[in-house]
Amino acid sequence: MLEIKNLHVRLEDEHREIIKGLNLTVNAGEVHAIMGPNGSGKSTLSYVLSGREGYEVTEGSITFKGKNLLEMEADQRAAAGVFLAFQYPIEIPGVATMQFLKVAANAQRKARGEKEYTVPEFMKLVKARAEKLNVNQDMLKRPVNVGFSGGEKKRAEILQMAVLEPSLCVLDETDSGLDIDALRVVAEGVNALRSPDRAMIVITHYQRLLDYIVPDKVHVLSDGRIVKSGGKELALELEANGYADFVGKAA
Amino acid sequence: MNLMRTNTAAEQALGMELPSRRDEEWKWTDLRRMLDGYRQVTDQAGNEADVERLIAASPLSALKLPRIVLVNGKLRSAPEGMLAIEPAPALQGTDPLLTMNSKLGGASISIGFSGNVSETVEVLHVSTGEQAIASRLHVTLEAGASATVVETHVGEGNYLHNPVTTVVLGEGAKLDRVKLEIAAHGSQHLSHLVATLGSSARLNDFTFTSGAALSRQNGDITFNGQHAAAHVSGSYLLKGKQHVDTRLVVDHAVPNCVSRELFKCVMDENARGIFQGKVIVRQDAQKTDGKQSSHALLLSEAAEFDAKPELEIYADDVVCGHGTTCGDLNHDHLFYLRSRGIPEQQARALLVEAFVGEAIDSVENEQVRDVLVALVHARMS
Repeated sequence: MLEIKNLHVRLEDEHREIIKGLNLTVNAGEVHAIMGPNGSGKSTLSYVLSGREGYEVTEGSITFKGKNLLEMEADQRAAAGVFLAFQYPIEIPGVATMQFLKVAANAQRKARGEKEYTVPEFMKLVKARAEKLNVNQDMLKRPVNVGFSGGEKKRAEILQMAVLEPSLCVLDETDSGLDIDALRVVAEGVNALRSPDRAMIVITHYQRLLDYIVPDKVHVLSDGRIVKSGGKELALELEANGYADFVGKAA
Repeated sequence: MNLMRTNTAAEQALGMELPSRRDEEWKWTDLRRMLDGYRQVTDQAGNEADVERLIAASPLSALKLPRIVLVNGKLRSAPEGMLAIEPAPALQGTDPLLTMNSKLGGASISIGFSGNVSETVEVLHVSTGEQAIASRLHVTLEAGASATVVETHVGEGNYLHNPVTTVVLGEGAKLDRVKLEIAAHGSQHLSHLVATLGSSARLNDFTFTSGAALSRQNGDITFNGQHAAAHVSGSYLLKGKQHVDTRLVVDHAVPNCVSRELFKCVMDENARGIFQGKVIVRQDAQKTDGKQSSHALLLSEAAEFDAKPELEIYADDVVCGHGTTCGDLNHDHLFYLRSRGIPEQQARALLVEAFVGEAIDSVENEQVRDVLVALVHARMS
């Protein structure tokens, strides 16, 4: 589904290289965890996948479902099936969450040449999925993420994911700022979306999240490269020994 | 008078001197120069088919409100029996736009409300052709009365329209006033609102400005009785070479009154928006609570916004403040929307609608508010 080859990325403003030759292949149905210390390039990877401005790809390629992802605008990537769950979801005053969800879902369907949702259809869909994530009607009426607690923001991100039904979910530090109960709700929401047609990249600093979202593969990112890949046991090893072993190798 | 000053064609025709950029209040809107291609008062009635089409296309037509229709400054129709319509009292004051109104003449109507009038009344101004038009509306609310009045300005042509509205609110009266300036693209709209509030009265005023090439809107709000409140808000949605200048003066002449001003202005292409807001707190007006804010979104490099907030405070126990911001659309907001599959143009429109929506929210009548939201949406699509 996703193939990243020899990816080099630098910040446009600073001319500083953040990702320095990253290779990664993710197949449909797989959940990959990417772990690494602060500054290793984890968030940059998520932004480059989702098409945020300000990052320049100087070398390498990203192929998504056989297409060159780097040639697509952020909204085209979303319509093609890429979804980024933000580490810090953005607050948008004045745009009601429900309205936002409907505009986004229908924009994607329109871009894919599918029939747009009618209002009753869409309300029913959102209601069913919101209930499972403890997202109440009041939250749906409020402006996007405005005044939401940390946990509410993350639940709202997963709700968006559940409604938009992407084929590649990129979760950037979804566990940050969550207590254990909130983490469990979010993880259950993510697990419910696991399917043979869908791939996930779970970016995290801590192993804790991976107790709930069990990955098929774990990669260690250090200084812009993947320095070690393994099964889910690699996460436990990292938790016990820290990143020091791998960071040393990459330097 | 400056001996070197030669009257322009407009000044000669109107029989008055027009303000120019040398006058502080008019420094961004040089009326003397801007009325250069002056239209004679030709007293055209307008083509009947055009007028009917414009009335039907007016955004509030679907609501079927009781409606007073003024065509080219003349009263065309009014709901039977419900309203007492009579000539408005003579204008007081020396502001150029009031003088112009007296010079040009035109329809003068007065509407009085008593008790709780639940049905919103619309005053629809339809203007056509190439001519100078004036009209005068006087709204009075008796003590304890409440009412909602919407003034809609539509038209077609390169006319100049000079509408003056005077409002007198009795003790405890409450007026919701909404103005839609969606006049013809080639027109000039020079309006003046004079409102006086009795004790415990409440004025909730919202103006949407998006039509005319030149729009100058003056407002003078004066508190005559204590414990009154005035909420004055507005939004601009401008493009092309539109020029909109709002000059608002809120005069706290007595203690214990509250004033709130909120303007949210969007300028695209070469448009220019101006907001001049002055809050005067007289020496006796203790416990005044006055806040003013204007916020602008500039959607292009060439767009411009000028703000001149002024607080003139002579009392010492007051809470007053003002704030102004001006900027581009937030890039993080745009990226977030686009990352969910919303194309750039649609994402920008959504953010602009949300931005002006904050001011539109002050309109209490839900149906009228929905019409405004739809109007903004249509203009952004």
